[in-house]
Amino acid sequence: MDALSKKHIVNAQKQMSWVLLLSAFTLIVSVVAIGLGSSQNLDFFTTLKILFGIESAGELEAAIIWELRFPRILMAIVGGATLAIAGSLMQGSLGNPLVSPLTLGVASGAALGAALAIILDFSIVSNSNLAIVFNAFLFSLIVVAIIIQLGNYRSVSAESYILVGIAITFIAGAIVSTMQYFATDAQLSQLAHWSFGSLSRPTLVNTLWVSVALVGLLPFAFQKAWDLNTLALGGDDFAISTGVDPVKTRKHILILSAFMTSTVIAFTGLIGFVGLAAPHMGRLIVGNDYRKLIPCSAIFGALLMLFADTVGRIAFAPIVLPVGIMLSVIGGPFFMYLLLKNRGLGH
Amino acid sequence: MSSILDVKNLGFSWGSNTVFQELNFSVESNQIIAILGKNGAGKTTLLKCINRILKPETGTVSIDSKDISELELPELSKMVSYVPQSIMSSFPMQVFDVVLLGRRPHINWVVGNEDREKVSETLRFLNLEEFAFRYFNQLSGGERQRVIIAKAVSQDSSIFLMDEPTSDLDLKNQIEIMKKVKKLVSDKSNEKAAVVAIHDINIAARFADVIFLLDEGKIFSQGSPEEVLTEENIKHVFGVTSEIIPKTRKNPMRIFIKDEISPKGKDVN
Repeated sequence: MDALSKKHIVNAQKQMSWVLLLSAFTLIVSVVAIGLGSSQNLDFFTTLKILFGIESAGELEAAIIWELRFPRILMAIVGGATLAIAGSLMQGSLGNPLVSPLTLGVASGAALGAALAIILDFSIVSNSNLAIVFNAFLFSLIVVAIIIQLGNYRSVSAESYILVGIAITFIAGAIVSTMQYFATDAQLSQLAHWSFGSLSRPTLVNTLWVSVALVGLLPFAFQKAWDLNTLALGGDDFAISTGVDPVKTRKHILILSAFMTSTVIAFTGLIGFVGLAAPHMGRLIVGNDYRKLIPCSAIFGALLMLFADTVGRIAFAPIVLPVGIMLSVIGGPFFMYLLLKNRGLGH
Repeated sequence: MSSILDVKNLGFSWGSNTVFQELNFSVESNQIIAILGKNGAGKTTLLKCINRILKPETGTVSIDSKDISELELPELSKMVSYVPQSIMSSFPMQVFDVVLLGRRPHINWVVGNEDREKVSETLRFLNLEEFAFRYFNQLSGGERQRVIIAKAVSQDSSIFLMDEPTSDLDLKNQIEIMKKVKKLVSDKSNEKAAVVAIHDINIAARFADVIFLLDEGKIFSQGSPEEVLTEENIKHVFGVTSEIIPKTRKNPMRIFIKDEISPKGKDVN
């Protein structure tokens, strides 16, 4: 084998080593995160001893670890990974590094659904907690479906999807604002708390739902890896010349990404930053090859969410700050540092 | 020589503006075809119709006697590769991986050693080894253009469609790239051809085997550079006067454009 091919293989091996190393680091951070919390009945080392079976847990300790912290940590990992993958897919299919999973109106749709459930008590589901989750999921998908249809009418370019998405976001935002204008203080407070994005709401069952969705949808994302490589690099004409149908690919990716994002934010509320930043962090390690970028973005997404949530839980304990806020506070400056250090998104 | 590309009654319009109509021509293997014409003559549009990036209004395009409208895109991309005028990406990708995208029609998911070796061979052929592990979005316009040509070469197709492949290149690289394309196409062991849309008539005169001169949506003249690039034809199509220096044993045919512009006020390049 020639020297260039060998170097290409060595580079790929180095990148995969980084991905494995980051996976191991995520595992360590998640164990540490389970050990940290505001409970005075359970210190860090006792939690680790219980986790590794060195010490047996009392009823209270078991409840704190397995019913409160474990679902939360698992949701941080699975939710962060899902949003990061959705973000990387959207950025690649639209050829735009500024896009996040919430850009195309998924967030405005979810907010509209939540507002309908909270303020107007409108939902097919009668249980009030489930109504918010169900409405947020359903309406975010409805908004994306409308965007795809309108995008088809105008043209099918990446820009037309983004423009229609922005227009729909404004319309949905206006409807939510109108509802807020007539809402009670209690309803406004509930909607505001929902929109912060928090990991305290999802139960273990919710988290397992999201995990199943991620595992089920992941093969479709990997299947599109080469198509995304060509679309992200050279746009539609370039993609066609390498045998990729950009219109069909973009539509499939938007649907896939919308499903991933809606599944997470229906349970957690609005979490946007991780879907924008994690893919770029992944690119700093593995470049833009989606076969490697999808897992690498997922790991950074999980790490970001874990870190932000853990800091949010312990910084002002016993008050727990929502992960949506902490992500922007911690992740924003860190993301800017990485970009400046590497002189832009392209290294 | 056999024809590998056949264009019959091809017509295309943007709304009510007809770009070209009833274009008929064949391309034989081992030839470089240069398409010349003023701005808006339809050179790029023609290339995009041959590659199915655009759907023609009328007519058919056949490659190896197969109608391209009946082919699946991956199958078509094994037959035709395309070099667009320019590409700028916001995402970081190393040059080796960009050229590897040319192997996309041949790869399922995993990159094989034969694909890597094809990329290495192409990078060496186009003197791009030193760029192999640099980021594409940090290269100059000319360097990016050479990388995209390498991507098209690694695609291993029988027809290269090139839209202004030398527009961003310096003088030396213009000649070098066209020499490489000539070498690739004229290799009789392969049945390859290149269709190149180009503004530089001296490059066209030097490297093309056949020139199509587009004007008013039709092929105004076609044939060898000596037959097509006459002072009359250049004045008619481009609206400028010129002086033709015939080909000698040492020097290729050369065209000097003079300062006088046609009183018809045609678009001048």
